[in-house]
Amino acid sequence: MEDRPSDIGALVRGIRTAVSPFRNTLRELHRRYRDLDEGRVADYIPELATANPAWFGIAVAGAGDGQMFEAGDCEQEFTIQSISKPFVFGLALEDHGREAVAARVGVEPTGDAFNSIIKLDEGSHRPHNPMVNAGAIATAALIKGDTHVERLNRLLDMFGRYIGRRPKVDVAVYASERQTGHRNRSIAHLLLNFGMLPPNVEEVLDLYFQQCSILVTARDLAMMAATLANGGVNPVTGVRALQAQYVQDLLSIMYTCGMYDYAGQWAYDVGLPAKSGVSGGVMTVVPGRMGMAVFSPPLDSHGNSVRGVAVCRDLSRHFGLHCFGSASLAGGMQLPWPAPGRVAEAAPPA
Amino acid sequence: MTRTVSVHSYRGGTGKSNLVANLAAALARAGQRVGVVDTDIQSPGIHVLFGLAPDQIGRTLNDFLWGNCEMIAATYDRASALGQCTGSVHLVPSSIKAGDIARIVKHGFDVALLNDGFQQLSEALDLDFLLVDTHPGVNEETLLSIAVSDTLLLIVRPDRQDFQGTAVTVDLARQLDVQDANIVLNKVLPGMDRAVLKARAEEAFGIPVLAILPLCEGLLSLGSESIFGLSSPDDPYAVAVSAMAARLLR
Repeated sequence: MEDRPSDIGALVRGIRTAVSPFRNTLRELHRRYRDLDEGRVADYIPELATANPAWFGIAVAGAGDGQMFEAGDCEQEFTIQSISKPFVFGLALEDHGREAVAARVGVEPTGDAFNSIIKLDEGSHRPHNPMVNAGAIATAALIKGDTHVERLNRLLDMFGRYIGRRPKVDVAVYASERQTGHRNRSIAHLLLNFGMLPPNVEEVLDLYFQQCSILVTARDLAMMAATLANGGVNPVTGVRALQAQYVQDLLSIMYTCGMYDYAGQWAYDVGLPAKSGVSGGVMTVVPGRMGMAVFSPPLDSHGNSVRGVAVCRDLSRHFGLHCFGSASLAGGMQLPWPAPGRVAEAAPPA
Repeated sequence: MTRTVSVHSYRGGTGKSNLVANLAAALARAGQRVGVVDTDIQSPGIHVLFGLAPDQIGRTLNDFLWGNCEMIAATYDRASALGQCTGSVHLVPSSIKAGDIARIVKHGFDVALLNDGFQQLSEALDLDFLLVDTHPGVNEETLLSIAVSDTLLLIVRPDRQDFQGTAVTVDLARQLDVQDANIVLNKVLPGMDRAVLKARAEEAFGIPVLAILPLCEGLLSLGSESIFGLSSPDDPYAVAVSAMAARLLR
């Protein structure tokens, strides 16, 4: 395709998407689970409780070509919430390197629920990992910038490189998080007490609340996941969103800590690095191959989207995507993208 | 399983709709259940050949693409236009209302829906063949019709402009992984050397010439009044189309 005008390439890609059997697979999954009436919409901050429980979108993007498949509400915006955590951790790694970051936050799964208050390592006083709120707040404190505005802009630019457009912050959700974030405020002060946060606690918290209030769609999350699957390069824009050396850091932590106190069962059943958020998003990376995202607000008792978990489990089983599984277990259906030899071989687009 | 046959030409006036209608009739007379979709939404016309008058047309392909109805609700059984016949032809016309054409040209539509419509129609009517009449040139609905086709028929007249443009379409068909692409040479004049024409086309496009159809005065003078092959089954054009149908049935 290299020599051909890009608009012909885009046209052909669009047609391939329209006629791919994978489009029907996603639509069947959507039909299968749209009436699944379980779970509850999060209401720990008032603004989240206004979400429509019927919203349901499935988006999958190819790691090599960015080809996007969608079913349902893939353009509905929602706040990213905890799905922001691995990405901010990636920026912190780029800002300081592994060693300095490791002094502030660990990489051990806690098995704690999404709303657990705080647990710090007894010796180091580090939060256990960047996916629990304490660890995410400690990570937000590591983002470089002379002013709060500069730090926020760096975060938004970073997300923009993954998504392909610069996202916006939902001011109402941010204000709501800020007003009702007593638990997070107490976590931050405890971290300050142990000397694990700088004195500008309110600014750190503001940045954390803002990062959680970034507006995304299922399509955006699929593209972010596809970017990680593509070694840190957005497959559509060709822009590098994360230094290649840190992709494995994000994926490892997502694999062990991405799904709250369901992480073990998820690793066992689905076998893919993932991250969920209380607004109903689930983002899953199939390294070297594709990024998947599901958006559906009702959550299970672990704080994960009910339909999101069901869809990812089905896709993983159906196509034999478990990272320790054998592709021969797949149900005979072919994905639009072949399995890569190795993650490291996933090449950025020309 | 339904076999989807898309009929396309790079330029207009190549005899595309006449071939689709005659091929559909020949297949139906051979006992096949045939669907015909007019995806030429910018300049629809094949309904005329099937004797569907404007006041008989209610729902159209446009309504399906706008989400107003299921594909099957825009389908017209054309048994009446075929005379005695063991098979059947089910036509999905495009709207001939100027406002509808303008609306779809201006605002476009989700081309993936067209694929859904083809599948719905094939399954609901248990079709043996789905013939897709396309708009000349390169546009999204044409490319989609090409991409979903099991067999692609590219109509070419012995004309330099047709040859150049068709090469573009053949290249696109290749990019869309069409397995069975064929050339149909149409409006070939009596004095022309058919073997030379066939060899030249196969060399130019790298795909086989499935049929060579003569320029047919009887068809022209009929002026799309009806399906030529039904009234003149022994005319060389009708014989050649019947042979094409037989090849498709193999």
